[in-house]
Amino acid sequence: MENNTNNRLSITPTTIVVAAVYLLVSVVGINWFTTFVPVVFPPQASAEARSVDELFHVLLIIGGIIFFLIQGMLLISVVAFRARRGDQSEGSSSHGNMILEVVWTIIPALVVIFLSVISFNVWSQNTEPKISVNLVDGTPVSINVTGARYAWTHTYETNRTTPEGAPIVINSGNRLHTYIGQNVDLTLRTTDVIHSYWVPAMRVKQDLLPGDLTRGGRPTELRFTPIRIEGETYPAAYPIVCAELCGDGHGLMTGAVVVYEDETQFLEQFYEPAIHAILNPPADPVLRGELVIQEYICNSCHILEPFDDWVGRTGPALDGVADRAADRVPGQSAEEYLVTSVWNASAFVVPGYSDQMANFGPAEMDNYNMSPEELYSIVAYLCTVGEQSDCDNENSTTVIPAAIKTVFGFDVDITFGMDQDESADGETDSEDDGEMSASETSEAASE
Amino acid sequence: MTAYVERTQKQKLRDRRDAEMRLKNNRLGMNIFQISWIMAFVALVVVNWQLRFSYTQWPPEGVAPYDPLLPSVGALALLFSSVLVYRGLKSLRASRTGAFLNAWRLGIALGLIFMAIIIYEFISVSDAAMSTQYGVTFRLMTGFHFVHALVILGIMIRVYQNGDAGKYSADEHGSWAVEGAAKLWYFVTVAWMLFYVVLYWIR
Amino acid sequence: MATIAVPLGGQQERQAIEAVRRPALSEYLRWSVDHKIIGVQYGVTALLFFLIGGAMAMAIRLELLTPNLDVMVSGAAYNSMFTMHGTIMIFLFIIPMWAAYGNYVVPLQLGAKDMAFPWLNAFAYWLIPPAGVVMLLGYFVSPAEAGWTSYPPLSTLFSGDGQTLWALGAHLLGLSSIFGSINFIVTILNMRPPEMTLWRMPLLCWAVLATSIIAVMATPFLAGALTLLLLDRMTGTTFFDASGGGDVLLWQNIFWFYSHPAVYIMVLPGMGVLSEVLSIHSRKPVFGYRMVGLSSMAIAIVGFTVWAHHMFTSLQPELRIPFMITSMIIAVPTGIKMFSWLGTIWGGKIHFTSAMLFALGFMSMFVIGGITGVMLAALPFDIHVHDTYFVVSHFHFVLFGGSVFAIYAALYHWFPKVTGRMMNERLGVIHFLFTYFGFLITFFPMHIVGMLGMPRRVAVFDPAFTDMNRLISFAAFVLGFSTFIVFYNIIHSYFRGQIAGANPWRALTLEWATTSPPPVTNFEDDPIPYEDPYGYGTEAASAYLDAVDQAFDGRRPASPGGH
Repeated sequence: MENNTNNRLSITPTTIVVAAVYLLVSVVGINWFTTFVPVVFPPQASAEARSVDELFHVLLIIGGIIFFLIQGMLLISVVAFRARRGDQSEGSSSHGNMILEVVWTIIPALVVIFLSVISFNVWSQNTEPKISVNLVDGTPVSINVTGARYAWTHTYETNRTTPEGAPIVINSGNRLHTYIGQNVDLTLRTTDVIHSYWVPAMRVKQDLLPGDLTRGGRPTELRFTPIRIEGETYPAAYPIVCAELCGDGHGLMTGAVVVYEDETQFLEQFYEPAIHAILNPPADPVLRGELVIQEYICNSCHILEPFDDWVGRTGPALDGVADRAADRVPGQSAEEYLVTSVWNASAFVVPGYSDQMANFGPAEMDNYNMSPEELYSIVAYLCTVGEQSDCDNENSTTVIPAAIKTVFGFDVDITFGMDQDESADGETDSEDDGEMSASETSEAASE
Repeated sequence: MTAYVERTQKQKLRDRRDAEMRLKNNRLGMNIFQISWIMAFVALVVVNWQLRFSYTQWPPEGVAPYDPLLPSVGALALLFSSVLVYRGLKSLRASRTGAFLNAWRLGIALGLIFMAIIIYEFISVSDAAMSTQYGVTFRLMTGFHFVHALVILGIMIRVYQNGDAGKYSADEHGSWAVEGAAKLWYFVTVAWMLFYVVLYWIR
Repeated sequence: MATIAVPLGGQQERQAIEAVRRPALSEYLRWSVDHKIIGVQYGVTALLFFLIGGAMAMAIRLELLTPNLDVMVSGAAYNSMFTMHGTIMIFLFIIPMWAAYGNYVVPLQLGAKDMAFPWLNAFAYWLIPPAGVVMLLGYFVSPAEAGWTSYPPLSTLFSGDGQTLWALGAHLLGLSSIFGSINFIVTILNMRPPEMTLWRMPLLCWAVLATSIIAVMATPFLAGALTLLLLDRMTGTTFFDASGGGDVLLWQNIFWFYSHPAVYIMVLPGMGVLSEVLSIHSRKPVFGYRMVGLSSMAIAIVGFTVWAHHMFTSLQPELRIPFMITSMIIAVPTGIKMFSWLGTIWGGKIHFTSAMLFALGFMSMFVIGGITGVMLAALPFDIHVHDTYFVVSHFHFVLFGGSVFAIYAALYHWFPKVTGRMMNERLGVIHFLFTYFGFLITFFPMHIVGMLGMPRRVAVFDPAFTDMNRLISFAAFVLGFSTFIVFYNIIHSYFRGQIAGANPWRALTLEWATTSPPPVTNFEDDPIPYEDPYGYGTEAASAYLDAVDQAFDGRRPASPGGH
């Protein structure tokens, strides 16, 4: 530049030294910049993350060169060409330099072409269709994600069936369970507004688009493959967040991807226990209640063990709920409070949360239609969650039905839990069924 | 005294130049407005186009396509009307006020026929069509166009009345209102041609 | 042109000019068709909305001091806060602010007596206050909460009546923008003096011309989108409701077809201002004048082809690639401008006036916004940071580091022309330091928070980001404080500022060849522009400037800048 323009910057030893020092600072600075690449990203938990981070590295080096070039020129100009006090003389009358202008048009053009090419490569590599996706036990299962204000719900349509021949569907609430090396392929749908499914650790994001749910919605797809991170203890959990404004609880709409070390660990710790529980519904109302909670996707908003103490906070955590239940509303026993809260959540809103939970009661006011027996199981289970439960757990078979009778006036058949057929009924009652058939039709249509 | 004469002459010159400038500005402003506002019509074409992809076929199943016969007559009426309006303007510029008024009378009448056809088309959208975007976008677009046509036809009628009262002269300054109204009417014509093709002919 | 033409007639006319006084304050409150009055009306209105929008930003940062929802009463209150912050800053501050400078300066630079359509000009202005009021009225029902982008179905099926008022207000502002832009195009193309060819036009006029072309072509799309939104909300149509055959992406397509070019509507005039300020305050011609002018046009044209990069996470994957490429290409004309400005100050005599400081600050900050812009165009990386604080940071570097810095530069630069008095330079430097560092520390860390996993538009976030957000908030309060300095400076200087004289910066463009403030007719005679608007550094230019000084003041003005 110095030779080309008609300027008055004389090339003295000082300017050469300044330029050399600045060049050094730039090189060191860009290097220093790039050491931050791992620091400014969350853990690199997927194959996609690896290539995105590499791309960012290149972008950062090129950006760094431009940054230091321009800031440096600016700095040199400001120092070298400042007008001394009282200096009223004019600057050089140079109007431009054709060669220079062509150069600084062509070089940036070449740079952006280069960046387009490498971005395209990374993109096609990341979106290349994978042959075998969602493999569990050697066969693919379909994993559906439903976004609703303000919770994520993951359902696994497994390749197993009940003795009656119905496919088994595992509902894992706001958790996505996967294992290292599994090619995850999610089908995403929303029941209300646009959400965006973002797993920062995987560097993937996809919007959920509202579609006509009677025609299977407007499914979108998200693919990624978890990889091993050195020094991580498995199973490891990474946050899922909603990245598209969806309403007042937008910031609360979170979840977690649970990555198991390998397929064996995945099967042992998540898959098989879940299927076992569905196939063999326990007679004990407490164990039964834990399952009902999954059926009604309570765990999308209320989590049991706090994860990172912020994920899944759309509603209060269920951890220790029995300890707090008696203190919430004066004059209400723990059982009465819990019974009321499940069917008529608006009756009491825990401070710090907003009144947005659906009513699960049996009246026509909602579409969940939880039976009194299921309510009984849930409350029986919730009464055991906590260190010193306020509930009268010795006499739960009488106290809870009494509470339901007092609050809502329903009688409860407490032999409910003993009946093995209930599992099938429970499924047809819940709204999952509708969703499932909807997704099946859409897949049939798309094929 | 000479200074005074000089000043008034200068002022006269300036006034004439200002008048020229006003006419030039009006013309350019009108053209830019036409280019700008046609984009609003293009936006509605985009709406129509994108909503087609919500359906497997267009018109959607069970909906009869619109019959293009009547609107074709309307489009012809509008085209003729524009030609008449143009000829009217030419006549006025050639100081043939009678020919101008005749052309505009006929042009406005053809415009009214066009509007009547659009009203009929708007009303006769079937309920089956209205339960899909096929009918809704049709009413959106014809309605949007109708509002423009109505306002601009109103302006044309007003200009015609003024012309009848002899308020316009043959020179370009004295007939700018006529020219402006005519250009707005051409705009209505072009916009309708766009919609006509999209609504009736592209399936 | 060898002879030096001074744009003045005889002795009497000069006396008439010298008798000019500032308009009475009451004139600004009335309907007026004088472009100078309208310019000030635009400016003051925009600055008032800037205060409101800024206060909202402070409330947002206050909420983000902690990872929980505590300052605001509800998530909805927080959502309405950033929705209105964005809407006000874009539609009621930056766009009208450029209309203010455009209105005041462009006719003067062209040597014209007024805009082409004075009545339309006033009408366009008077649409703005009611539009702002309509939008703010939302606070009496239930304010708009769907973000300034107002994506349906959140903005149709799940929002209160404030959303309707929001759309009505935006509709009015769109109309105002179209009318204003038609006026600018006609004025610039038609009302130049015969000596001023397009290639001798000041670069602010080039920038305003490019901006106005974008506005007239794109704004009708906004009108279309808002009309559909209003119909969906009020008459039960289902353009955006999938269960009725609608399509949510329809809104995104039409909205961004306007709103991406709107970014250039907001930043191109700033680039024009920069070309003026850098050249004048470093006493050197604009480097590569033609390329700077043409690059404005290139940005305007390419700007229409990039809109879908806002939809990288919702668009069909195969459509994303072409938009990645166009989004990258638009960096080239932007780069041309940046390098040309560097060439402009290189070898000049840089006077560190407040206007120049803000112009240099623009260059230093906008380059960061430009670099992150290219990063965001890189599709795989964008997927990760889309809708995160990285994006928030990027567009603040462009719209604050770019547009607002340029607005400040223009304020210090043209305030003397508008009021006849200089702004206080010492306060200006303090204002600059607070703004520059407050801005840098507020927005730079946002890149990192975003990449680490913090989505935008959340009141509740991962507590791991608390420290970083505290830092950002405290810096934001400093930045907020800096606004008071400039407002104090404006009021103080309006009454107490040093008398400016006609041409305090010794600039060659025509707005300085008349009194400050100019008389109602701007120039008593037809002014003849100097042959080259940026021809500094020649004997002829110095002689011309001396002649202007002689003609208006009979003396050289005070030294224009401190150090």
